[in-house]
Amino acid sequence: MLQAIRSVARSSLSRSLPSLSSCSSRFASGDPSSRKEAPIIDNETLLAVHEGSTSANTIAVPAKVDISPITGVPEEHVKTRRVRIYQPPKNAMQSGTHNIHHWEMEFDTRQRWENPLMGWTSTGDPLSNMKIEFSSPEEAIEHCEKNGWIWYLDVPKTQKNEKPKNYGANFHWNRRTRVSTK
Amino acid sequence: MLSSLRTGVKGLWRASSRALQTSSTLQHDSLFVHRDTPEDNPNIPFEFTEQNQKRVDALLAIYPEGHKRAAMIPLLDLAQRQNNGWLPISAMHKVAEILNLPRMRVYEVATFYTMFIRRPIGKYHVQVCTTTPCWLRGSDAVLNAIKEATGCEVGGNSPCGKFSLSEVECLGACVNAPMLQVNDDYYEDLTVEDTKEIIEKLKKDEKPLPGPRSGRFASEPLGGLTSLTEEPTGPGFGVQDGLKA
Amino acid sequence: MLRQPLSRALALSSPARVAPLAARRYADAVPAQPEKVEVFIDDQPVHVLPGTTVLQAAAQVGVEIPRFCYHERLAVAGNCRMCLVEVEKSPKPVAACAMPVMKGMRVKTNSDLTRKAREGVMEFLLVNHPLDCPICDQGGECDLQDQSMAFGSDRSRFTDIHFSGKRAVEDKDVGPLIKTIMTRCIHCTRCIRFASEVAGVDDFGTTGRGTEMQVGTYVEKMFLSELSGNIIDLCPVGALTSKPYSFAARPWETRRIDSVDVLDPLGSNIVVATRTNEVLRILPRTNEEINEEWLSDKSRFACDGLKRQRLVTPMLKDSRGNLAPVEWEDAVVAAARALRDCPPDKLLAVAGGLADAEALVALKDLLNRLGSEHVCTEHYFPTQGAGTDLRSSYLLNTKIANVEDADFVLLIGTNTRFEAPLLNARIRKAFIHKETDVALVGPKVDLTYEYTHVGDSASIVKDFASGTSSHEVMKRLQQAKRPVVILGADQLKSEEGPALLAYTQELAHKLQENLQDKEWKVLNVLQRTASQVAALDIGYQPGVGQALAAGPKVVYLLGADSGVVTRESLPEDVTIIYQGHHGDVGASIADIVLPGAAYTEKRATYVNAEGRAQQTLVAVSPPGKAREDWKIIRALSEVLGAGLPYDTLDEVRDRLSQVSPALVAYGDVQPNNYFAQARALAQSLQKPVSGKLDVQLKQLEDFFMTDAISRASPTMAKCVQAVLKQKNSPY
Repeated sequence: MLQAIRSVARSSLSRSLPSLSSCSSRFASGDPSSRKEAPIIDNETLLAVHEGSTSANTIAVPAKVDISPITGVPEEHVKTRRVRIYQPPKNAMQSGTHNIHHWEMEFDTRQRWENPLMGWTSTGDPLSNMKIEFSSPEEAIEHCEKNGWIWYLDVPKTQKNEKPKNYGANFHWNRRTRVSTK
Repeated sequence: MLSSLRTGVKGLWRASSRALQTSSTLQHDSLFVHRDTPEDNPNIPFEFTEQNQKRVDALLAIYPEGHKRAAMIPLLDLAQRQNNGWLPISAMHKVAEILNLPRMRVYEVATFYTMFIRRPIGKYHVQVCTTTPCWLRGSDAVLNAIKEATGCEVGGNSPCGKFSLSEVECLGACVNAPMLQVNDDYYEDLTVEDTKEIIEKLKKDEKPLPGPRSGRFASEPLGGLTSLTEEPTGPGFGVQDGLKA
Repeated sequence: MLRQPLSRALALSSPARVAPLAARRYADAVPAQPEKVEVFIDDQPVHVLPGTTVLQAAAQVGVEIPRFCYHERLAVAGNCRMCLVEVEKSPKPVAACAMPVMKGMRVKTNSDLTRKAREGVMEFLLVNHPLDCPICDQGGECDLQDQSMAFGSDRSRFTDIHFSGKRAVEDKDVGPLIKTIMTRCIHCTRCIRFASEVAGVDDFGTTGRGTEMQVGTYVEKMFLSELSGNIIDLCPVGALTSKPYSFAARPWETRRIDSVDVLDPLGSNIVVATRTNEVLRILPRTNEEINEEWLSDKSRFACDGLKRQRLVTPMLKDSRGNLAPVEWEDAVVAAARALRDCPPDKLLAVAGGLADAEALVALKDLLNRLGSEHVCTEHYFPTQGAGTDLRSSYLLNTKIANVEDADFVLLIGTNTRFEAPLLNARIRKAFIHKETDVALVGPKVDLTYEYTHVGDSASIVKDFASGTSSHEVMKRLQQAKRPVVILGADQLKSEEGPALLAYTQELAHKLQENLQDKEWKVLNVLQRTASQVAALDIGYQPGVGQALAAGPKVVYLLGADSGVVTRESLPEDVTIIYQGHHGDVGASIADIVLPGAAYTEKRATYVNAEGRAQQTLVAVSPPGKAREDWKIIRALSEVLGAGLPYDTLDEVRDRLSQVSPALVAYGDVQPNNYFAQARALAQSLQKPVSGKLDVQLKQLEDFFMTDAISRASPTMAKCVQAVLKQKNSPY
C-alpha cells in the first residue's frame, strides 16, 4: 500500500519535471515577430555580457538591480503601470488591526467586467491580483525599482494623540463629557 | 410528561418532513417599544394639574442646578398618579420637556422600572405575590379567587375596566403570606374569603381596611409569643462566679 | 516624474515626519505632563500616563485586547466584558477598557484565567445571538464572528431552545439608510453613544431591562442625523447594516480602493469597495487630520448616484433640438469648431464643484491658448482687495484637526453641520471635550450643540471687527487663547460680500495680534465645493456674473451643474459645451456633451477646504465612452491645433506643480501667512453693511441632494422623503 503511494508520487513528480524544464525552450523557439509577449532574454547571454565587463576575480553586484528585462513581464505592464505603495487602511467595519501592520503594493486599477458565463469578475490585467506584503516601505520601493515599475508612496495619516480615556468622565459633575445615557 | 409529548410529536413531524428546528421566544408581559393606540398616543395632551405643578416645583427644588434630571423618577411617578395609575407617552414627553432632556432618556427610565405602567389599567391594580413563601401559603388560591371575582387574566384588565391583575415577585411581606397589593395598600394573611370580600368592597368603591386579615396587628406571632416568653434575665446572667463583682 | 516619490521616501525615514502632530500640541493646551507610570503587559514594561486604561497601555506595546463596547472615539461604557484580563494580585479579572493603570501593575492578557473569562463572556453573548451568519450582511467583517473564532469555545452548551429559548427582538425602522436586525444586537451601546456624543442626536437608547432589554428608539423614529451611516461601521455585529448595500456583496468579493471624497469641501478619506466595475459601497478611511474615522451620509451613500443619469456617450444637438449620441470624433470636432469660430473675448469656461485640478488646469491652459482669460468657477469670491491672490484669504487656515484645540469658535453665515458635517463633528468634539464655546452669526439652525446666537445681521460682524460690539461674545473672543472664526463662502456672493470678508479679516487679524501663540490661525473661509480651492489656486476667476453679462458666444461647462449658468442668462445664439459625468442641470442646456469621469473613475487631484491636495484613485473605469476629463480637453486642444504640452498624467501634474507646488504636495497643507497683507488690501472695502446672513442648507432634508451625483442617487432621494415624513410625525 505504502509502496504504491510512493511509486505514484515518484512517477507524477518525474512526469512533471520535464515539463518544467521544457518551458524555456518553448519560448525560445518560433518567429519573434509573431509573439504577443515581450521578448524573453536568455539568462546565459545576459550573464555573459556582465562577465565580459568585469575582471575575473571579483563579482560585481550592480548597485541598482533592474531585473525587468528578464522577468518576462510584458513591456506594457512595466512602462505604463504605476505602483502605489501603501499601508492598508483599517477596515472601518471592524476594530481589529492585526492585518494592517505592513506595507503593500498595488497597481493602478484597470477595466474589469462581469463575465457573462458565471457572473464572475474578469479582467485583462495580469497584475491586478498581485499582492505582495512588505515590512517597510523601503523594501517595497526596492522591489519596485528592481522590477522597473514607477512607484509612489502613500503615507497614511493615522497618528493619534494618546489621550487617556477615563470611565469617570461619564460622570463628571460639571463637564460636558458627562454622558446623557447614564 | 410534557417533554415526552413534545418528543413524540416531533418524532411524527420528523417522519413526515425535514427536521426544522424552531425555538420558542422569550416573551414578556409588557412591550418595550411604543405602539400608538387610541388611548395612548402623543397627540393626547398631558399637563400637570395646578396642584401637581406645585409638587413638580417642589421636587425640582430638591436637586441642584445642572442635575435636575435626577427628578425624573419622582416626576414620572407623579404623572402616573395623576393619570389614573398609568403613564401615557405624552406624560413622558412632558417630563422630558420639564427636565430639558432628550425624550429617549425618559423612555429608558420609564421602561426600566416595572412600577411605571405604560398601558391603560383599571382603577384598582391588584398585584398578587406568588413568590415561594406566599405560594406555599396558598397564593394560587388567592390568585384564582381574584380571577373569578374580577374576570381578569394575569396581566390584563377586567371586562368592567375597574381592575387590573398582575402577578408579582416578592413584595417583602413574607411573614404575612399570602398577600396582595391594591394600588398603594397591602392586604396580608389572606384567605380566599378575605380576598373575595376585598374585591367585593372595591367593586362598590369602598376601601377595605389594609393590613393583616388574621387579626394580627403586624407580623407578630398569631397565637401569642412562642419564644422569649419568660422574664428577661438581668445583668450578670450566666457569668462565672469569679467574674462577678 | 520621480520627484514626488523621492521626496516622500526621504521624508519617510526622517523623524520630521511626526513633527506636524507634535507641533499641533500647543504649549498652553497641555499642562506639564505628570510623571509616567510603569506597568507590565505580559511582562513587557510600558510607560504610560497615569489614568490610562489597561487596554490603552496594552495597545501601546501592540497587544490588542478583544473588545466590543469599547471604541476609542466614544466614551468608555464597560458593558460587554469582552476585555476582561487578569491582573496580578487581583482576585477577579478586570475590564481592561475601564480600569486605569496603577504603578507596577502586571497584566496578563493571555493567561488561563483571561482566556477562560473571554470564553465565558463569549458564550453568554452567543446564547442570545442568532446563528444566521450565512444570511447576515456583516458576515466576513464581523467582530463577533472573528472573536468567537479566536476566543470562543469550540462547542455550545446552549440546550435551552425549547423552554426559555433565544431572545428575539423586534426590528426597528430608523430610516432608509440603516437596516436593523435587532435580534443580533449584543448591547454594546456603541450606536447609542455615537448618537449621543458625536452625532448629537439623542434618539437611541435602551428600553426594558434584563433579558428584555433592547436597543432602539422606543417610538418609531428615523435617526435624523447627517452622520447616521457611521453607526453601521460601529456596530460590531450585524444588527445595524447598510440598507442600500444589503445582500449586495461579501467583503472578500470586493476590491477596496483608497480614495478621496469630493461631495463636500473637506475631502474625507474613503475606501471605495467595487466588484465587476461597479461601486458597491463607500467606507471611511482613517485620517486623523480630516475625517478621523467618520463619514457623512452623503459621501457614504450617494455612490449609487454614480450608476444613474450618467453621460455614457458624446452627444450633439440635432436639428430638432434633441441631444443625439455621436462618436467622439464628431463631438470633439464640433466642439473644436465652435471654440475656433468664436472670438476669444466671447469665450467662457465655467468649472463646477466636482472638477479635478488636472481638468481645471488643462481647461485654463486651453482657453489661454485660444486667447481667452474667461475661466470662472460657479461660486463667487470677492476679487476686490487681495481677492484670490493670497491663498490664506480663501482657505480653512486653522485646519480641521486644530479646531479641536480651539477655545472659542465664531461661525459667520455658515451651517457647518450640513456644509461640512465632519468639521461640525470636530467643533462638537471640542465643545464636549475641551469646553469650547460656539457663537453663530447667521440664521438660527440646529448645529447639534449649544451655541450663542448673536443674530443674523451682517452689521454684527462689523461691530465685532471695529470692537464696538458690547455683546458678551466680543468679550469671549478677546479673551480666547485660541479663537477660530469661520466664514461661510456663500455669504460672499452678495453685494456686501467684499465688506463682510474685509470685516472678518479685520476681526481675525485683531484677534490674532493679541494671541500668545503666534502659530495659531484665526481666519477661516469655508468653501462649499471640492473644486473651488484648486480652481482659485490655478487662477480661475470666482463667479460667473460678469462673464455672463458680457454675452459669451461659446460657454464651456466643466461639470458646472449648480444652475448658475442658464439658457436665460445667455444670448440666443450661444453654443454650450458641457463636459461632465452626469446628465444634470449643465447637460440639459448643452449643445455638445462630452462625457467625463466621476471621482471614482479617475486618478485626480482635489484640494480640500484647508488647501490640502489629495488624490482620488481609479476604482472603476468610466462607463461607456466616457473618458478622463483632462484627456478630453487634451484631445480637444489637438483638434484645435493648440496642443497642450502634456500627454501623460505625470506631465499634467508637473504643470500643476508649476502653477502651485501645493497642488501636488499630496496629503500636506502648506502654511499660509499673508493675513496682515490681505487685511491691509481689504481695508478700503470696509463699507457699512446692513444685510441679513442666510444659509442655503438649513434643514436635514436640504443636505442630501446638493450636487450632480447626489441628485442622481435614489438613496439620497429616499432620505429626503424619509426626513420630510419624519417631520410630520409627532415624535
